[in-house]
Amino acid sequence: MRRSYLGEFEEVVLLTVAVLGTGAYGVAITDELDRQTGRAVSISAVHAALHRLEEKGMLKSHLGEATAERGGRRKRLFSVTILGSRTLHDIRAVRDQLWDSISPQGLPAVSL
Amino acid sequence: MSAKLPPRWAERFLKIVCAPHLFEEIQGDLYERFLRNARLFGIPYARRQYAREVLSFLRPFALKRQPGEHPSISLLNPGMIRNYLKIAWRNIAHNKSFSAINILGLALGMACSLLILLWIQDEFSVDAYHANGPQLYNVMERQFYDGKVEASPGTPGLLAEELKKQFPEIEYAAGLSWEQEHTFSVGEKLNKEKGRSAGADWFKMYSLPVVAGTAETALNGPANIAISRKLADHYFGSPQAALGQSIRLDNKDDYQVSAVYYMPQNSSETYDYVLSWADFIKRNEWLKDWGNNALQTRIQLRTDRNGVTADPDRLEAKMKPLMKSHNPNMAKNGYDIQLFLQPYQDAYLYSNFKNGYQDGGRIEYVRLFGIVAVFILLIACINFMNLATARSVKRAREVGVRKVVGAGRNWLIGQFIGEALVLTSLSLLIALALVGLLLPIFNSLTEKHITFQFANASFWITLLGMTFLTGLIAGSYPALFLSSLNPIRVLKGAIRFGTGARLFRQGLVVFQFALSMLLIIGTIVVYRQIDFIQTKNLGYDREGLIYLAAEGDLASHYATFKQELLRMPGIQTVTFMNGTPTNTFGSTGNVQWTGKDPNTSVQFQFSQVDYDFTKTLKVKVTGRDFSRDFSTDSVGYLINETAARRIGYREPIGKPLTLWGKPGLIIGVVDDFHQNSLHQAIEPFIAKLSPTAEGKSIIVRTQPGQTKQALASLETLWRQLNPKFPFSYKFADEAFQRLYHSETVVGTLANYFAFLAIFISCLGLFGLAAFMAEQRTKEIGVRKVLGASVPSIVALLSQDFLKLVLLAILISSPLAWYAMSRWLQDYAYKIDIEWWIFAVAGLLAVGIALLTISFQSIKAALMNPVTSLRSE
Repeated sequence: MRRSYLGEFEEVVLLTVAVLGTGAYGVAITDELDRQTGRAVSISAVHAALHRLEEKGMLKSHLGEATAERGGRRKRLFSVTILGSRTLHDIRAVRDQLWDSISPQGLPAVSL
Repeated sequence: MSAKLPPRWAERFLKIVCAPHLFEEIQGDLYERFLRNARLFGIPYARRQYAREVLSFLRPFALKRQPGEHPSISLLNPGMIRNYLKIAWRNIAHNKSFSAINILGLALGMACSLLILLWIQDEFSVDAYHANGPQLYNVMERQFYDGKVEASPGTPGLLAEELKKQFPEIEYAAGLSWEQEHTFSVGEKLNKEKGRSAGADWFKMYSLPVVAGTAETALNGPANIAISRKLADHYFGSPQAALGQSIRLDNKDDYQVSAVYYMPQNSSETYDYVLSWADFIKRNEWLKDWGNNALQTRIQLRTDRNGVTADPDRLEAKMKPLMKSHNPNMAKNGYDIQLFLQPYQDAYLYSNFKNGYQDGGRIEYVRLFGIVAVFILLIACINFMNLATARSVKRAREVGVRKVVGAGRNWLIGQFIGEALVLTSLSLLIALALVGLLLPIFNSLTEKHITFQFANASFWITLLGMTFLTGLIAGSYPALFLSSLNPIRVLKGAIRFGTGARLFRQGLVVFQFALSMLLIIGTIVVYRQIDFIQTKNLGYDREGLIYLAAEGDLASHYATFKQELLRMPGIQTVTFMNGTPTNTFGSTGNVQWTGKDPNTSVQFQFSQVDYDFTKTLKVKVTGRDFSRDFSTDSVGYLINETAARRIGYREPIGKPLTLWGKPGLIIGVVDDFHQNSLHQAIEPFIAKLSPTAEGKSIIVRTQPGQTKQALASLETLWRQLNPKFPFSYKFADEAFQRLYHSETVVGTLANYFAFLAIFISCLGLFGLAAFMAEQRTKEIGVRKVLGASVPSIVALLSQDFLKLVLLAILISSPLAWYAMSRWLQDYAYKIDIEWWIFAVAGLLAVGIALLTISFQSIKAALMNPVTSLRSE
């Protein structure tokens, strides 16, 4: 099955949108990424990724209500589309399959 | 307060670069982060961070604009342009007569201006090709004598060398002789050629392209001669073949060709050969005398290592006492000569001197014709403006519709100016064809070699500039006027022109006719003055007078020549003189008489003559002419009336007079005769008998009506006595015409231009009258029904225009009077500007205007009222 290619960063952003549910917008996604992965990402990189994902049809968005803490400006709220969800599931399936196929000696032990 | 906000510049920057559809969310996110950063880390950090984040948004996705939902279509898109052109073309095609008037008027105006422009360009290109041009100067003399100051190009023969020795500022200096005519013989080839002698530096100063030989050493030896390519080709076949060959001059001396140069056409002075200075001074020993000022001196100023040229003003100041130091008795005799410099490149256009100082010259004609070119183009533009605005009623609906559909005023202005440009371009094509046809005629009239310089960028720039300017001027008023119309009123069908528009149109007509009147009056005055010159009694009879140069064996055999000639058919009398009756030879201050104020120096034009002088010239003489019956006549003098008045004897005949230190008696007083052009007043003249014809002109008077026989006699005798020289002669009449060549050319050109101006003006008037008649069709119909006669209707239609023409006459007459009296000031002998000139010009203008209008008004008046009133 042909599926759109997702970059690693795009995949993480897409997952974060899913994590945040209804409150996924630029700043929130950036903060969540920071919190969950410990990566300090720039807001513009996040915006760029969101934009690209929307173009690929994995995200959809709408403008929310005006909020006071943003100086009256509206947020763009993102949610994952069916295609996005499908893609994430596919990726996960491939990974699981790969994990399952690894023999116990296949990976050097890592002390936890 | 502002410190709590993000940096203003960053916000503005974001607004400029960020795509509008992303701007709100991005700005919101950044602001939210700014507030948190400010809370956690302080405002300065937050502001820095904000700026950094803004800059990080310089990414393709944020910069890229989303296509709008309702794209605004530019009015310059191909569809609109096609529409403009189509409408323009339909307008041209629909109103064929108006378009023809417009295009024809503009084409004539442009052709005329283009010709003048080419001529002006050519005038400015004269002498402009020398590489050292800006450093070249002519040394001239300012002579103070007899209470007068006069500038003269004549300087002593040794001045160039002396200047170069004395003043380090001068890099090169060279003398230049008057135009000489020598007979060249190479093998069998025999011909008269005109050329000059010049100092050794000549070819270093003037960039004449040297085709063969070396420029630096061309004039070093006394027997060297540099010749033009024309001569080289003629005598030797090619420049290379000519080099080192010898040419025999005047059947006497041999000269070796040291260089062959090319004489560019746009040179003010042309010469086919240059002889060396040493040779020239040797042949004319008298030029070594510092008291004889007959030769030109040219210098080139030194340019130092930094490229700075020596200051000509300071050099001039240093040169002032030079002449006095070489002429010790100058101060004693009450006169002074000071040297001054004129830039060489100015000399052609600024050649006139008045009271010793620069005063106009050819530049006046350049300016005059420049103004005429602008005037004629303006007249043509006005036609266009007038017709376009008058006919704007027809286009008003179009303007209304365009405005309603959303055309802005600027676009309408653009459209109408564009239409004017289309018409102008069409006219330019016609104008170019016209100029192409007329150039040969124009060249022969002005004695120029003007061609279209298609390879020259400035030519195209001129054409483009002219088209744009004309289109812009012609299109400006109609465009402004039409685009200002109110669409609501226009579409309701009620357009009325304000008095402003009508006044403006009338003003334009007045302006047009005033300009035409100026040109007409100018033409009449120039023609009258030329006619005055041609018919004025000069004091001698120039009909049937022939000049020959006394050269070769003719001078030594003069006595035989005269004796034989008088026996041959067609010849009346023969004499000789220095110079000719049409050109003075030179002047001298060395005339003394009893009772002369020792502190003044009076300049006398002089000539050494033969017997029969007054008889040949047919000058009236009181007293007597020189005669063989009086042996004392070798120290007898003839003077003219002006000289007699200046000397102040009550009874001059028989009184003593001393010329060049030889005391003698005045034997006769001749009536004043004009020996120069009428630009100059008659000067004191003195004639003395000369025993030899060497260097003189032989003057022959033919029997009336027997010029042919006389020429045949002259040629036969010439071939017998002077076979080594080709027979050549000049008619006094032609020499005289030559004096007024530029006036005649100006007169002819002014005539054409005046005709064109009035023609173009009338074209416009014709169009306007046609339009007016069309507008008033109904009114005329009603008037006729009510019993108006045809003449009364014609008068009604004509009087509006006549009023304008009369006003134009009133305005232009004083202007023309002023301009023409300025022009006449150049003549010592001139016509009066009489009132009837204005009357004739005015009548002419009124007559032509009336003729133009009457065609239309009579046509309108004769129309059957039934047809004109039926349509409603």
